[in-house]
Amino acid sequence: MSDHVKEITAAEFEREVQRAGQPVVLDFFSTECPPCEALAPKFEAVAEQYAGKVRFLKVFRQGNRELAEKLGVTGSPTLIFFNRDGQELGERLGGEDIKRTAIKAQVEALLA
Amino acid sequence: MTTRYDLIIVGAGPAGLSAAIYAARARLRTLVLDESVPGGQVKTTHKVSNYPGFPEDIKGTDLAKAFAMQAERFGATIRRAVEITRHDLIGPVKSFELDEEETVEAPAVIIATGAKPRDLGVPGESKFKGRGISYCATCDGAYFEGKDIHVIGGGNSAVEESLFLTQFARSVTIIHQFDHFQAEAATAEEALHNPKIKVIWDSEPRAFVGEGGLQSLTIENVKTKARTDLKTDGVFVFIGYVPRTDLVKGVVPLNKWGYVETGEDMSTPVPGLYVAGDLRSKSFRQITTAVADGTIASLAAQKYVKQAVKPVAA
Repeated sequence: MSDHVKEITAAEFEREVQRAGQPVVLDFFSTECPPCEALAPKFEAVAEQYAGKVRFLKVFRQGNRELAEKLGVTGSPTLIFFNRDGQELGERLGGEDIKRTAIKAQVEALLA
Repeated sequence: MTTRYDLIIVGAGPAGLSAAIYAARARLRTLVLDESVPGGQVKTTHKVSNYPGFPEDIKGTDLAKAFAMQAERFGATIRRAVEITRHDLIGPVKSFELDEEETVEAPAVIIATGAKPRDLGVPGESKFKGRGISYCATCDGAYFEGKDIHVIGGGNSAVEESLFLTQFARSVTIIHQFDHFQAEAATAEEALHNPKIKVIWDSEPRAFVGEGGLQSLTIENVKTKARTDLKTDGVFVFIGYVPRTDLVKGVVPLNKWGYVETGEDMSTPVPGLYVAGDLRSKSFRQITTAVADGTIASLAAQKYVKQAVKPVAA
């Protein structure tokens, strides 16, 4: 994985996302998921661009099903955006067509 | 930064990658662009049974990877997960800006962007996309272990993917607008004999309902107009595709359904611009027909490049 994207588990969710003190973009991914593979390089590119300002995290959905269910995530990939107070903001992005520019637009909104 | 190629192909599905194999073997400097990973619709198909050369079923994702490896073996460059942020297809040199960062150009371009799953256009659909409604069985099927799910559609994709989903789900109910499947007979028979699969004929979804996540869907019998609410753990939608023509809209003629009209050699009225695969106006859209389109477009483009680009005297 890149230097700018960190994988977390459900146990770390509260510390890494809700009490991070920084905006967070969280990616729920799965195996055997081509749209997730397609998202990964875009996610990493945006993560690199906002390094230090926004945290980019990913969670393996198969290994953290309870957290996914608690957050109502039923599709892979799903991107969720949290502000620095740990509250979800904006629209979730999912499916095959997540564009780099769409991720950037939501990240800019987190920083505004 | 601008990089020059002989041929740029947009879309790394079966059409685009077939074109790339032929072009790279003809020693054209060939670039393939895709906003995702290679394979197009094939990569999210759980198995392919009707592609010649594979006596046993092959996983869609494996076939997709094989297409890409073959193109790369002959020297084609495949750029994965790139976004085209500007494009110019009209002039003698066609160009694309990628990720707002760099530019690539070539005298010939093949657009093979295919098609994407059609939305139902039913209330609640956008709200529950990724929250109970899925368009990819291989991505999300495994999370429905022991659950009761619904599939919308009755063509090859809908019925094939329903069969795949029975590995996980307790029950799969197919909701189809007609009184018989459009899927191939072999697939349809297998589904009708599968004890986990139930079919509700002559019906279409009218609404998706739930608090937080999806809880139920409302269907309407198109003959009696009777409406029924069905409790569901998840819905998979496979009701066909719409062509991805964003790049060529306004550049080449589209038919009334939005598909691109081409010549028999995949040419368009714009010199050097070719269109191949599912976004083209034609009767049948299969992997094999996409492969044929890609081959023809590539051979035609090769001829064009050799005539258009006169060798510079040393």
